[in-house]
Amino acid sequence: MPAFQWRAAAAATAFCACLGSPAIAGENAPQGPDDLTNLSIEQLAQIQVRSASKREEPLSSAPTALFVITSDDIESSGVTSLPEALRLAPNLSVQQVDASQYSISARGFNGLQAGNKVLALIDGRSIYTPLGSTVFWNLHWPLLEDLQQIEVISGPGGTLYGPNAVNGVINITTKDAQDTLGAVVRGTAGGDEQTAAARYGFQIGKSGAMRVYADWHNVDELPSLGSNVFDDSFRGWQAGFRSDFVSEAGKLTVQGDVFHDTSAAEKGDGAHGQNLLARWTRALGPNSSFQLQTYYDYFKRRFSLVDDSLETFDAEGQLNATVGRHELVAGAGARTTRDEFINELNAFNLVPPRRRLWVFNGFVQDRYRLSPEVSLIAGLKLERSTFSGWQALPNLRLAWQPDNRTMLWAAVSRAVRSPSRIDRQLQALPFLAPAPEFTSEKLVAVEAGYRGQPSSTTSVSVNGFVNFYDDLRSTEFVDGHFQLMNGEEGRTYGIEAWGNAQLARGWRASLGVSTLWKDLHNKPGHLDLAVRNSLGNDPTWQVTARTDVNLTSRFHLTLNARAVGPIDQAPKIGSYVEAGGELAFDATKRLQLFVAGRNLLHKTHVESNDPSGAQLAERTIYAGARARF
Amino acid sequence: MRRRRILLIGLAAAAVLHPIAASAEPTDVSVKAAFLPRFVRYVTWPTAAMPHGSDPFVLCVIGSDPFGQLLDQAAGSQSIDGRHIIVRRMNSTAAAGDCQVAFVASNRLDELSDFGGRPVLTVTDGAAAGPRGIIQFAVVGGRVRFFIDQALAERRHLNISSRLLALALGVRQ
Repeated sequence: MPAFQWRAAAAATAFCACLGSPAIAGENAPQGPDDLTNLSIEQLAQIQVRSASKREEPLSSAPTALFVITSDDIESSGVTSLPEALRLAPNLSVQQVDASQYSISARGFNGLQAGNKVLALIDGRSIYTPLGSTVFWNLHWPLLEDLQQIEVISGPGGTLYGPNAVNGVINITTKDAQDTLGAVVRGTAGGDEQTAAARYGFQIGKSGAMRVYADWHNVDELPSLGSNVFDDSFRGWQAGFRSDFVSEAGKLTVQGDVFHDTSAAEKGDGAHGQNLLARWTRALGPNSSFQLQTYYDYFKRRFSLVDDSLETFDAEGQLNATVGRHELVAGAGARTTRDEFINELNAFNLVPPRRRLWVFNGFVQDRYRLSPEVSLIAGLKLERSTFSGWQALPNLRLAWQPDNRTMLWAAVSRAVRSPSRIDRQLQALPFLAPAPEFTSEKLVAVEAGYRGQPSSTTSVSVNGFVNFYDDLRSTEFVDGHFQLMNGEEGRTYGIEAWGNAQLARGWRASLGVSTLWKDLHNKPGHLDLAVRNSLGNDPTWQVTARTDVNLTSRFHLTLNARAVGPIDQAPKIGSYVEAGGELAFDATKRLQLFVAGRNLLHKTHVESNDPSGAQLAERTIYAGARARF
Repeated sequence: MRRRRILLIGLAAAAVLHPIAASAEPTDVSVKAAFLPRFVRYVTWPTAAMPHGSDPFVLCVIGSDPFGQLLDQAAGSQSIDGRHIIVRRMNSTAAAGDCQVAFVASNRLDELSDFGGRPVLTVTDGAAAGPRGIIQFAVVGGRVRFFIDQALAERRHLNISSRLLALALGVRQ
């Protein structure tokens, strides 16, 4: 048995090695709302506006556990990367693993390997990879100033989002090109990292617009943790464009990005890639619209003698129609990926090393208004992938809105995580045999929540969930070798709550709490030897707090704090409290200077216990300037 | 470390003492609120649909109201041929019988068709996908503009002035 354990641990560690690299907008003078009444209608049409932060009605009426990070939230918090911005969502667990890698999850199952139950999208382009159904967050550096919002759903994404929306959806959208006219230049510099970014947006004709951007980052290595000694510093750039054309009949969006990153761990380590997306939305009549989207995406990563590349084509269509009391959405999509995984570091390889995979889905959802206050939502998605037959993902939701300030909702949904390449085809003979029988992991989620505005200056959301899992991944010993199997099952449950209050003019504060209990165990006849490797390294609780204050008309202060509970899974990590923030000074109307930092309370702290290469998270302080003209 | 923590707490305390809002450009919502009562001047209703006597024009907000006080202020500043404009808020089109202008919020777009051929100037916000009113707001180039469905206006016997049509990004004939 000790030998088994050692081999299981070795398998788990090497297994990890496959996944982880060790390695002020307007030109016009400010015009308060009070001044608007004296303008002519033509003058009104010329006023430059600040696009509203998107806490809009469609969201407040969505009966799901939803938190929205607005563009203002991101900018005022002084963060310099997408994963750090995601810490603003109280319903996400964000763990920094090393200088470039983060594992991010909702409702448990966090970890570089275990974090395979979240769907992440950037402007409708899926960024989880079919290799292990995880997200390589280090490959995505959108210009933070151009983000419109990040919707974070904890819980199954229902029928409307794409595959893999099991425990959560992170839906990142960038601003319409019409809302990013003019130039932004930003630079930050500190001992541990430096960034530089620029964007220019311009109009094309009467109703079209385009922006181009580039950003660059240079990030120093983190202090080593235990025996994980390596240089995880990295640098890279990303550039891209987005164009939007509006006509009376519809809207066309075309956008693309290209990136290149170099990691210091080994010579030749790094990543590069590009993507191109087009989306066309057309009104078919007064009560219906049609959307068509297609994209191409390619990336290649190389880390310590492992090469991994992925090419994706995706096409999807969606029809929205309102008929009487029914709000109908129906759609279909197809995605194909061509991957290559070549490992010259150790024995773990995918067989075959190159593979084309397909995912097809079709869905229909109806939101039926039983009465002005009560809506019933029923949706069904059918999904088929190369590694699974047709699978049904139904969801049923009930929303009660007794008034415009209150919504109570309840939902039951089924979600599945289709097998990834690693689940099915990872092998390292004679240790680990491939698992051609590995089937989808399954979830039935029961949720209920309240979302409301108890007063004009406060908003509150409280959600509870019980997740019933079946066929979770285990590593078992069968016929003389290890094999991945569907040998775990059980429940998780928890409560998420957050609130936001305008305490005074120019002073906002928010508080969030999430808890997680896990009761996962071997199914009868199964024994997981991989020290419950696939079940996640999850803190049992997390508290986040934030305050935004206009100290004077020119000084703004934002503080973010988080307290994260202990991770009981070995190697255990104790709880910790950390804080970050930004102090900004509007030097002129166009120029803002700021100092910002993260992890300010400790020089270093242990945030991830990932066995493949977790490093110490570190206090990081930098100064920056942002100009808009 | 302790000193840093105290420093942060000190900053937060200082923050409480000076909560002053920084003013910036108006939001798209405040400009849309300013537009709404102004549309009344550029639209002619059939006599039967006009307010009786010297009654005010009625501007209705149907569904969740994005404007709040902004709209009341904007409406209060306008008068057309001696008539004021009052704002009414309602949950559904069922109560929208005597509205001249109806802003239909995104959570009630499915009720737009309830207006049928009634002479009501319906207004919708282009930020939401789905059905559209006679006037549909759009933010283009950082400015609030709109599209006009003149064919629908004609079916409802509404006459839209050329001054308003000239401002539209597009006019459906």
